[in-house]
Amino acid sequence: MRVIEVNELVKQYKGAKSPSVDGVSFSVEQGEFFAFLGPNGAGKTTTISILTTTLSKTSGEVRIAGLDVDRDARKVREHIGIISQKPSLDKSLTAEENIRFHAALYGLYGYRPSFALMPKAYKEQVTQLAEIVGISDALFTPIKKQSGGMQRKLEIIRSLIHTPDVLFLDEPTQGLDAVSRRMLWDYINEVRNRYGTTVFLTTHYIDEAENVDKVCIINHGRIAFCAAPDEMKRQIAFDPTPRVCLPSLEDAYVKFLQLNEEVA
Amino acid sequence: MYNSQLTMNHYAGVTAGSVRKPSPLFREVSTIWAIFCREISVAFKSPSTLAMSFAMPVIMMGMVGGNLTQNMAGGLGFDFGLFMLIGMMINMLFMSTSQGVATLVDDHEDNFSEEMLIAPVSRYSIVIGKICGSAFSAVVTMLGTLLVGLFMGITLSVGQFLAILALSPLICLSAGAMAMLFIGIIKNRKAANMAVMLVTMPQMFLSGAIIPITNTSGILMVVSRLLPMTYSLDLTRAVIYAGTPEYGSIVMFSPLVSVMATVAITVVFLTVGTFFYAKSEKDR
Repeated sequence: MRVIEVNELVKQYKGAKSPSVDGVSFSVEQGEFFAFLGPNGAGKTTTISILTTTLSKTSGEVRIAGLDVDRDARKVREHIGIISQKPSLDKSLTAEENIRFHAALYGLYGYRPSFALMPKAYKEQVTQLAEIVGISDALFTPIKKQSGGMQRKLEIIRSLIHTPDVLFLDEPTQGLDAVSRRMLWDYINEVRNRYGTTVFLTTHYIDEAENVDKVCIINHGRIAFCAAPDEMKRQIAFDPTPRVCLPSLEDAYVKFLQLNEEVA
Repeated sequence: MYNSQLTMNHYAGVTAGSVRKPSPLFREVSTIWAIFCREISVAFKSPSTLAMSFAMPVIMMGMVGGNLTQNMAGGLGFDFGLFMLIGMMINMLFMSTSQGVATLVDDHEDNFSEEMLIAPVSRYSIVIGKICGSAFSAVVTMLGTLLVGLFMGITLSVGQFLAILALSPLICLSAGAMAMLFIGIIKNRKAANMAVMLVTMPQMFLSGAIIPITNTSGILMVVSRLLPMTYSLDLTRAVIYAGTPEYGSIVMFSPLVSVMATVAITVVFLTVGTFFYAKSEKDR
């Protein structure tokens, strides 16, 4: 079943001379791990913003879980979670207060003025999640006193607490150290494997997309390539010498962009 | 480090929690309440906001009001001190609520608005939650004004105070709706603060908060009738002065007219403002 369907999507910002996203079409199956790659300014974040209903499209059709993002925007939002490029945390609140606020917005738990007054299930869930991503010590610290990495981890907890069907990750590990990156990917992979969460990833760390089911490359607002990673490697950077067969996805991606720029 | 066993436990909890699908109504009410609580929490954590809540009544009631009372009280045929105290209290409700609602622009600049806008809730719930939260600070500022008035020797009876308190939700909603009308299309913190000042300051003079407007005519009269605070003030004074000899010289409209005008302005401004707020966030 297709959980994300994008047909001929066009987005031209007000006052812009050309579209940022220009006739993009792709689909993502339920439970798929999908990577949406491209250089800076290619149109990745614009596409994610439209898919998550926070930005209007100029034309085209976008459906999430079978629902139109314009007509059924609120229902679409019930199915999705997002970790955006720019943190969307309230810096004056503590980490836990941000999670509590999020849980209340999704109607998971009624908001109570303090953590101590929240239901037992909430307290256990948050405590365990904080332990998993390693922010237990900072759970009751104001966000403004936390590092970028800690804030990122908090966003991961927050985006998963309402168990979305589709999780959009817009450069989720930007600013994280290697250990934190590994830990978060282990966690996201576990969630995906166990609960069939569809993951839509954009990243500049191409190695993070090595194990995806499908990769699409967007360049200058258009889909330049869309296939399974191995297919991409074969088509773009296959080396027939005996000991070297398939390159890494990053090698294939870089080579593809270089070829693409040369053609352009 | 990552702990697989913990993940399993966590998801057992999540699954149990996610069985209960919240009703849309519960989610909307929960959102309004959560935003209301967040606003209060943020207000208490911000020393500058707290300082302003105490400083504003001193400046507005103590300095501006005190000077006006000393120089304008004669020959009006009614107690100017009480007239102005009521005006300043309502003005404080309006100013503080408007300033609170204007922080929607701060939320936009800090990207926190994305957290609210991505949630499966109505934009009206977000705005109403914001207005309710701002109203809390506004009521605190109004109480500060009352205290400064008491210090100046201007008193309200308990009944009069409770009447104002009872009207304050409607007044704050009206103030928030007015703020939404221009905040909805402004996406810059500096411009939003300036817009709030540009509306609230003239309103203080043109709606009859501190200067009677019963004899205002021409364009000023037209402007005064377009300002929502004119009706909020007149309604409050109608309640406070009911049955007194001064009623005729202070109150301009029947309470029913003021209620209807306040409700109509609130509904129209809130609808239009929220529409443009949602549109400007999405249409870029």
